[in-house]
Amino acid sequence: MTRIDHVAGERKTSGVSLQGVNKWFGAVQVLGDIDLDIQSGEFVVFVGPSGCGKSTLLRLIAGLEEVTEGEIRIGGRDVTDADPSDRGIAMVFQTYALYPHMSVAQNMGFGLKVAGRSKQEVTGKVAAAADVLRLTDYLDRRPGQLSGGQRQRVAIGRAIVRDPDVFLFDEPLSNLDAELRVEMRIEISRLHQSLGNTMIYVTHDQTEAMTLADKIVVLRSGRIEQVGSPAELYDDPDNLFVAGFIGSPKMNFLPAEVRGGAIRVAGHPVPDPGLRSRPAEGTKLLLGIRPEHLRLAKPGEPALTVTAQFAEFLGGTTYLYGAVAEGVDCVMEVDRSVDTRQGAVLNVTAMADDIRCFGENGLRLR
Amino acid sequence: MSSATMDPAVRAPVRARGRGRIRYHRLLFHVTAVLVALLFLAPIFWVVAASFRTPAESGQPPLPPWPTQGFSIDSYLRLEKFGQSILHYSGNSLFVAVGTAALTIVVSTLAGYGFSRFRFPLKGLVFLLILATIMVPFQSILTPLFLLLAKLGLQNTLIGLVLIYTTLQLPFSVFMMRNAFDAVPREIEEAARIDGVKGVRMLVQVMGPLVLPGVVTVGLFAFLNAWNEFLAALVLLTDQSKFTLPVLMTAVRSGRFGSIDWGAVQAGVTVMMIPCLILFLILQRSYIRGLTAGAVK
Repeated sequence: MTRIDHVAGERKTSGVSLQGVNKWFGAVQVLGDIDLDIQSGEFVVFVGPSGCGKSTLLRLIAGLEEVTEGEIRIGGRDVTDADPSDRGIAMVFQTYALYPHMSVAQNMGFGLKVAGRSKQEVTGKVAAAADVLRLTDYLDRRPGQLSGGQRQRVAIGRAIVRDPDVFLFDEPLSNLDAELRVEMRIEISRLHQSLGNTMIYVTHDQTEAMTLADKIVVLRSGRIEQVGSPAELYDDPDNLFVAGFIGSPKMNFLPAEVRGGAIRVAGHPVPDPGLRSRPAEGTKLLLGIRPEHLRLAKPGEPALTVTAQFAEFLGGTTYLYGAVAEGVDCVMEVDRSVDTRQGAVLNVTAMADDIRCFGENGLRLR
Repeated sequence: MSSATMDPAVRAPVRARGRGRIRYHRLLFHVTAVLVALLFLAPIFWVVAASFRTPAESGQPPLPPWPTQGFSIDSYLRLEKFGQSILHYSGNSLFVAVGTAALTIVVSTLAGYGFSRFRFPLKGLVFLLILATIMVPFQSILTPLFLLLAKLGLQNTLIGLVLIYTTLQLPFSVFMMRNAFDAVPREIEEAARIDGVKGVRMLVQVMGPLVLPGVVTVGLFAFLNAWNEFLAALVLLTDQSKFTLPVLMTAVRSGRFGSIDWGAVQAGVTVMMIPCLILFLILQRSYIRGLTAGAVK
């Protein structure tokens, strides 16, 4: 038995299901008609811009906010009105929310103590969790004597010790510096692999979402925009918002028009993306092309002309920022051999399969 | 950047002048602090020194304040002989002060928690009303208070006095405790809810230690105010055996043939100061933290 198996014990993980969940704060609707199924053992990330309702959704699952309408089930059990402590969840907060007057060991064992578990059991579980999180040397310290990363590990330890069915993370890495964030991200990912619990993670950082998630839920203005694996969202976004939100640097959006039987950007024809229903002549579209999908055109190939404005050299790659036409900017990933001086003109194209078309209403045309 | 500012030879005098100014400021600061401290310590020294004068000297003009005709504890002995012993009256005062502090802490902690964390109708108005009572001078409601206590059969009892003092102490205390609870991040309470903590346990085990500085401040204020309060005790207590120390002082004051026994008064005041000083010195760290809680994040 590994160390982590010892912490987790005999586990049956549980899925989470939300049906028709609505949340109103007074007259303001913050979440509307949320239907979501999370499979047992999945790592799901709620992502979206601030104010989109992702934290509220997590708090509804935790039971820290009351559902105005709808139903929440954890492991098949209706927990809509259950107390947070009876839902089989544990939560890690952005601000750590450790008890400042308790030692690390007391912080981690408090939940079990409240549940009336024996002192021996509490000590054992705390020691095992501390071992996993490399906190053994800090068990007697107070949270005030720890660094940000250590505090966050204590918060995670407190969650592990509770042996929950579902872990909830509310932007747990936002208060850490960039280097530590990457380190903790890997640690959380490793924890998920070894514990196998269902984990729900809220973040506004799409990189965190992409790297951690089995499934990403993109939210905007209290509604789910799209649910899917990171690759699905990246390759096959349902709308402009998801296409723009996932991926860094952002997807390029080029205004286009159907003219003379071809889709044209600033008058130049682009490869036919093979839409099932061909848009009528004169239809205005937005073409979405990721920076890494734009490439230099071979001589004689139909191409867009991009005027270079500036370049970011990142070592492995270079991002060239330029303009396709007046007011239409674009970013492309280029080889370091490409001339990226300001004013340089490049002929650029993309594979037809890499071009996504969006209608004027922002929805994807397939 | 000009080359002049880079030249160490030019920069050095500027730095030296800067350091000189800082030293000058520090000196001024310390001199002022010592003078202010002396100003506050002078009356205390005066009272303690004068309490050791001989009976003959105690009635004489107060300059110099210290004993000139020999050291004597006669004033303390006279104080002890008055009525029942000084210990008895100290006991009365202690009962009233501790009772007031305890009751104030309990009520204001519960009220502060409620005002900080629960939503209920007219919350803002009720809180404002509680605070507004600070503006009513309590001397003006002494008569109704007296009548109320009489109706309850609590006039001339120490418990009645505790109730009155607690009432007077509550507006400030509730305000203090609400601020103390407001300063505790909501997430800590939520984490405790997830840990399964509820009700009184939340207040005692999770929130309690976090608002302790506030509790100490409220308790200390209640204790000191109840210990030193004079007017209400004078009006409400008629039985000499129930007197608290401030009332005792007025009774001790009258010496032979209408003269004032300054020696006994000074001795009494010295005795009265001791518990306050001890309590304050023990609790001063928590007390200062309590007063500034929530002032800055």
